[in-house]
Amino acid sequence: MSGIKKTSKSWTTRRDQKAVRLAKIDHLLKGKLLGNAHIIEALELLISPGDKVVLEGDNQKQASFLSKALNEVSADKINGLHMIMSSISRPEHLDIFEKGIAEKIDFSYAGAQSLRVSQMIEDETLKMGEIHTYLELYGRLFIDLIPNIALVAADKADAQGNLYTGANTEETPTIIEATAFKDGIVIVQVNELVEELPRVDIPASWIDCIVVADQPYQLEALFTRDPRHITELQILMAMMTIRGIYERHSVQSLNHGIGFNTAAIELLLPTYGEKLGLKGKICKHWALNPHPTLIPAIESGWIESVHCFGGEVGMEQYTAARPDVFFTGRDGSLRSNRAMCQVAGQYAVDAFVGSTLQIDGEGNSSTVTSGRLSGFGGAPNMGHDPRGRRHSTPAWLDMINEQHELARGRKLVVQMVETFQSGNEPVFVESLDAIKVAKQAGLATAPVMIYGDDVTHVVTEEGIAYLYKAQSLDERKAALEAVAGVTPIGLRHNQNKVEKMRRDGLVAFPEDLQIRRTEAKRSLLAARSVEDLVEWSDGLYNPPAKFRNW
Amino acid sequence: MSVAFLFPGQGAQYAGMLHDIKNKWGLAPTFEEASEVLNQDVLSLDSSEKLKCNKNVQICLFIAGVATVRSFKNKGCSPDVVGGHSIGAFGAAVASEVLSFKEALLLVKKRGELMENAYPDGYGMGVVMGLREHQILSIVHELSTDAAPVYVANLNSPDQITISGTLKAIEKVLEKASKKGARKTKMLHVTVPSHCPLMEGVSSELRKTITEVKGKDPAVPFIGNCKARKLWKAADIKEDLAASVALPVRWHDTTEVMYEMGTRLYIEMAPGRVLTDLAAKSFPEARAISAAESTMKTLLILMEKEKM
Repeated sequence: MSGIKKTSKSWTTRRDQKAVRLAKIDHLLKGKLLGNAHIIEALELLISPGDKVVLEGDNQKQASFLSKALNEVSADKINGLHMIMSSISRPEHLDIFEKGIAEKIDFSYAGAQSLRVSQMIEDETLKMGEIHTYLELYGRLFIDLIPNIALVAADKADAQGNLYTGANTEETPTIIEATAFKDGIVIVQVNELVEELPRVDIPASWIDCIVVADQPYQLEALFTRDPRHITELQILMAMMTIRGIYERHSVQSLNHGIGFNTAAIELLLPTYGEKLGLKGKICKHWALNPHPTLIPAIESGWIESVHCFGGEVGMEQYTAARPDVFFTGRDGSLRSNRAMCQVAGQYAVDAFVGSTLQIDGEGNSSTVTSGRLSGFGGAPNMGHDPRGRRHSTPAWLDMINEQHELARGRKLVVQMVETFQSGNEPVFVESLDAIKVAKQAGLATAPVMIYGDDVTHVVTEEGIAYLYKAQSLDERKAALEAVAGVTPIGLRHNQNKVEKMRRDGLVAFPEDLQIRRTEAKRSLLAARSVEDLVEWSDGLYNPPAKFRNW
Repeated sequence: MSVAFLFPGQGAQYAGMLHDIKNKWGLAPTFEEASEVLNQDVLSLDSSEKLKCNKNVQICLFIAGVATVRSFKNKGCSPDVVGGHSIGAFGAAVASEVLSFKEALLLVKKRGELMENAYPDGYGMGVVMGLREHQILSIVHELSTDAAPVYVANLNSPDQITISGTLKAIEKVLEKASKKGARKTKMLHVTVPSHCPLMEGVSSELRKTITEVKGKDPAVPFIGNCKARKLWKAADIKEDLAASVALPVRWHDTTEVMYEMGTRLYIEMAPGRVLTDLAAKSFPEARAISAAESTMKTLLILMEKEKM
């Protein structure tokens, strides 16, 4: 201790400040319970200008009662907040910036508000922090975005303040943990107060204040794909993926995106997959929400386990009745966990299979289209090769493409796209709109969803490009051109080169995989309507009204 | 969720349109008030002969829009957000109480006169369907000359875009657009090259007049034409009304901002249905309905359901 002075500062400033703030609402509380008529008053007493506030909301579940209340606090009292949000989804998430209640934002996804976000950045109504993947944002909650306040949602609370979050646990425990254990204040809206919880998902000692909302929190059925809308082109692509990727590389664990392409794969496993004798050999373990289109594969014994990011409206009873497959609590109901499932999807699966809106000539892809800043969500976590991975699986090892003593495997990152979107817009483009959007919004880097050098396979209605086999950038480009149809990128292809790539296994067309295009019929789908899915589930799946037409 | 009122622009007019509204919803005081302000019977302006004159078209569309709003108001119903396409924006300004009916009507008349007198002949507008903004922009840049200028005008939907300028240049652009894969191209029956720099003179004249009107901050959010922004201040809305005539109408963005603000019911004011179709196509999860083609009873039930 030679001459270096110890600082004499207080080590409990956050804890002291929390105590002072909580004392201000003492008269409004009964235990931890706050009457919902007092929520605005309480927020004005608990929040200070400039606070870092996490407002819970992802692409499914929203703390909607608390976001509405925050939008009604006086901007004279509460202003300049630094918001941290997984997803900017609801109108008031941006209204608070127009009113000056909030000033800066760090977020992950803004699909439902992407035009307004772009406008407000341009108009400087909103000061942009960074755009993250889900995992990065959760990570920063523990590093340099430590919250002063967390506004979150749960299904039920008991009188002590224990919480049940059930199937929609999602990121609630993660947000609360970062806040509660660094002396932030945790405010929870619940749908109801009960004497006894089905199970405790989050203990009362992590919680400071509970309010029973006037309405249940907003919850979207985001992962329900009506099989009625699956086209024969998508079925063809699904067949190619099953044969040319899952079978070829023995893909046993995986994550799927939410598109109709991947829904088609899920529905082809019990039919087409069965015919190929692949049951028990592929698609056994999943990091996936409880997609209703997974039901036939589960019921026919294809699937051993599914860990979920979140729940899915209508799947509660079904998941509860299949505890060997899903993660459930002692009470029987599903427990999801977005942070854990993102980690699983990043490190523990063989393959990620997703879709996108634009792919450039080198295979970089983005869902950002002109003037809309939609962010990332979780796809990049799954859609890249995690270089810290050390365990091997057959699929991972099968990606080794060099003779070297230290050669290592790779995660399969598969993009499934039709060469044109609706409205005649090519998916394969010379240059991503993301580049222009980055300039407009002053972003440090262009918002690329998945980088070309992470993509191992691209599947289109034309065929499969096995990009992991490319030995150079030129080869990667040529393989992409071969499957890019009549888009500007596809028109560059050279027929002789394409034939050579087919022989070398860099490109495969349906006939190379012994698939006849005429085989791709809707009759191959294990379920052709939501009604069929309900039947497969023995009536345990209860689709929301908008998917019912019987 | 919330309800947006959309006010149609040129193209929606037809002979007898004001008479139809009067037969449907009454509203005699509105037509009387308008006739008094203009010193002429407005019900004489909606004949096919009179509608050949651009000024009359603008006046009739504006009155029709306000009349529709008033019939809702008489039932105690108002929108959560408003926006109008081009001339329609003046109806939206009245609906959100930024301008009075009289103030707006005089401005509309002035706007019509200025536009009509700006370019006697040889100018107009065309529409391209099936190409994107950047594709049309590159064609326009290639073909526009100082002697025969042409511009991208209104962005009605991602693949329905109008162009303005000299007739010759428009024809060339349409021809090239067809070659480049446009689904459909056509000349519009419009004699004025609206929403492009050729209207800058009109815009500054209109700005002078509009400054004289005080205006009030809007009672409900107003989405502007020029940048598709939610506008809160009377001054910003007045500027948008003046500037818009020489700038593209970002209509698709306007309706998308409404959607992001929570709109799930779009009601198009009489006499239009074009904006209804555009909204229905862009937002399959929302409902879009034309007031002119529905009964007030249906409209009120839908509004009530939406606001629950």
